[in-house]
Amino acid sequence: MLKHLFAKEEDIPQGSAGIFFAISSICWFIIGTGLGSFNAAKLGFPDFFHGSYALQFGHMRQVHVHAVIFGWIAMAFAASMMYITPALGNTKLWSEKLGIWNCLLYNVGLCLALALLWSGITSGREYSDHIWPIDLYIAFVMVVPWSLNVWMTILNRRTQGIYTTNWFFAASMFMLIIVFLIGNMPEFLHLTGLNEAYMTWWFAHNVLGLLITPVAAAITYYIVPKVTGNPLYSHRVGHLHFWSIVVFYSTPAAHHLMSSPLPEWLKSFASVEGVLILVPAVAYVCNILLTMQGRWTMFVENIEIKFTITGVLLAIPLNMQGGFQQTRAINWYIHGTGWIVAHAHLALLGFSTFAEAAAVYYGLQVLLRRKLWSASLANFHFWMLLIGFSLYWISMTIAGLIQGAAKIYEVPYVDVVIAEHPYMIVRWLGGTMVFFGNIIWLFNMVMTARAGDPVPVGRQPAEVAYTR
Amino acid sequence: MGWTFTNPLFSLATADQNKVAQDIWEGESLGGIAENNNPLPRPIIGLLVLTFITANALTFPLYGQRPNAAIYHDYVSLMNSGMVQEQMNDHSISHNQANEKAMALIENSLAQFDSPYTFQRIQHPIDLDQLRIIAPQIVELQKAGADLEQYSVIGDKILKANFFNLQPDGTIIAKQPWWDKGYMISMFYFFGFCLAVIVTVKRLPHWSWRPDHSIAH
Repeated sequence: MLKHLFAKEEDIPQGSAGIFFAISSICWFIIGTGLGSFNAAKLGFPDFFHGSYALQFGHMRQVHVHAVIFGWIAMAFAASMMYITPALGNTKLWSEKLGIWNCLLYNVGLCLALALLWSGITSGREYSDHIWPIDLYIAFVMVVPWSLNVWMTILNRRTQGIYTTNWFFAASMFMLIIVFLIGNMPEFLHLTGLNEAYMTWWFAHNVLGLLITPVAAAITYYIVPKVTGNPLYSHRVGHLHFWSIVVFYSTPAAHHLMSSPLPEWLKSFASVEGVLILVPAVAYVCNILLTMQGRWTMFVENIEIKFTITGVLLAIPLNMQGGFQQTRAINWYIHGTGWIVAHAHLALLGFSTFAEAAAVYYGLQVLLRRKLWSASLANFHFWMLLIGFSLYWISMTIAGLIQGAAKIYEVPYVDVVIAEHPYMIVRWLGGTMVFFGNIIWLFNMVMTARAGDPVPVGRQPAEVAYTR
Repeated sequence: MGWTFTNPLFSLATADQNKVAQDIWEGESLGGIAENNNPLPRPIIGLLVLTFITANALTFPLYGQRPNAAIYHDYVSLMNSGMVQEQMNDHSISHNQANEKAMALIENSLAQFDSPYTFQRIQHPIDLDQLRIIAPQIVELQKAGADLEQYSVIGDKILKANFFNLQPDGTIIAKQPWWDKGYMISMFYFFGFCLAVIVTVKRLPHWSWRPDHSIAH
């Protein structure tokens, strides 16, 4: 990376920024899930490793969340955008040099941000935990250059049309900047009380709804037609998906605060919009699964499709669950329980991670022009991820329902802790499986870069995946 | 940008515009990816309509709220009656048996009368020990002339409900409205969205046109 920082733009190989972002994202995924596994161990085995201020659960939870969201998820998105955006415009990335600087400063900024969280310097607001200088760094040093590269690549495309994936990429980056700057207003302007609570959850909801969900979906809009060779089922359903994400995902923030003294009309409105998140979900899932017509064998045979379609299938319970969890009828019972944690992991470790993993697998093979070093290790990684995630999701769902019942029936807290214990151990086991699977993944990708067989010019990695 | 409204459900774009769109659609390869022009399957449209109806129906605040103190008012009156007190203080049987018998008496009596709270009582059952704890607070509020529907039962406490139901005269009633302007806003929002999406997709070539992907690929 370092040798390209001061090189001329034309001397930097195309795809360099995408490769650096992709490798960084896998490293951050290992760090993030390692921290998650450590945190889960502290919950599963309360006597495990205590006494260190910096390694207390309260610090570690924040570091885990931000390592995963800003490290793994966002950097996998950046990697995807750095190679998919130019590919769809039949052009090259606007500036590889900017991309490489962006990747370097992104990693530096993230290390700094996590170090501050680790040392207890935090805003204290969930998901928008960073202090304002870090917020500004993230917005203007990490996100704006990344967005600029995406927007300028689209503007400089050599096609008249813009494919669905690029609508989502461009719009999500625009919405992310707005969400980040407005959602952090409590930190910038010292807002308190309900204003602080609402803005905090407006930020948290929209980071997921206007960045993570649409970009993960956009990736699958690329991977499935590209790898299967099928045309996307419907351009017009893509329109329905895109606009319903913008309209229905941007408004339900108040459903995170259903028991707060926010105005009732705002909560009612947010709750209806929360269920209507099913509109983009149904449109999206239908569009992708119908694109798979005649190619379903690839769900078994092809690693990118296996990851992508698993992610798409997980979007179904994700949206069904999320849409109804926030209604008054259910929220009173489950608010603040582990089921919400299970839901958050279904979104981030289920749906979006599987889509991003597919994009990183595919992207690295395309950019390096090398086929996977080991398809078996990739399959092993897939199953470690899927089984580990499923253990986590199921155990936390059960634990959350126990907590909900205990909350309503006012069961003493210590009894709840005892009842939760087996599920906390399963949670740790699932998270640890994901962590070890990711180490295998990094090894496989490093070996792919070093010793993977070259993909012949004009061929797709998927076409030669099983040839020797 | 030309518009045609002669057959708006078929297309809002002129024939020339549709021809240009079709040429681009078929003649251009977007990174090797092609797109079809299929409509949303009809069962899926039905599912989306069902989603909207469900969204409104499920979010009405009918279920799952904390019980208000009014639903237990009759319980308290009956608990303080001589017949129930006698049953409650029957020391020839165990405390739990006495409670169950006393509660059965109360519930049998309540079943004789229509009440607007029948549904909520089923939603929020109570036992005699809990009733003993909240009864003095309900009696106090009643003596003070409070509207019990504006008070929530939260564990062993009875507190003013956390609702701000603003009235036209500016007063606030702490009761959950069954309908509020949030639902009205969501309806306008949804229909506005539908209109905008219909306009957007009707500007595309009609779904009966199938692009030929062999031209660009």
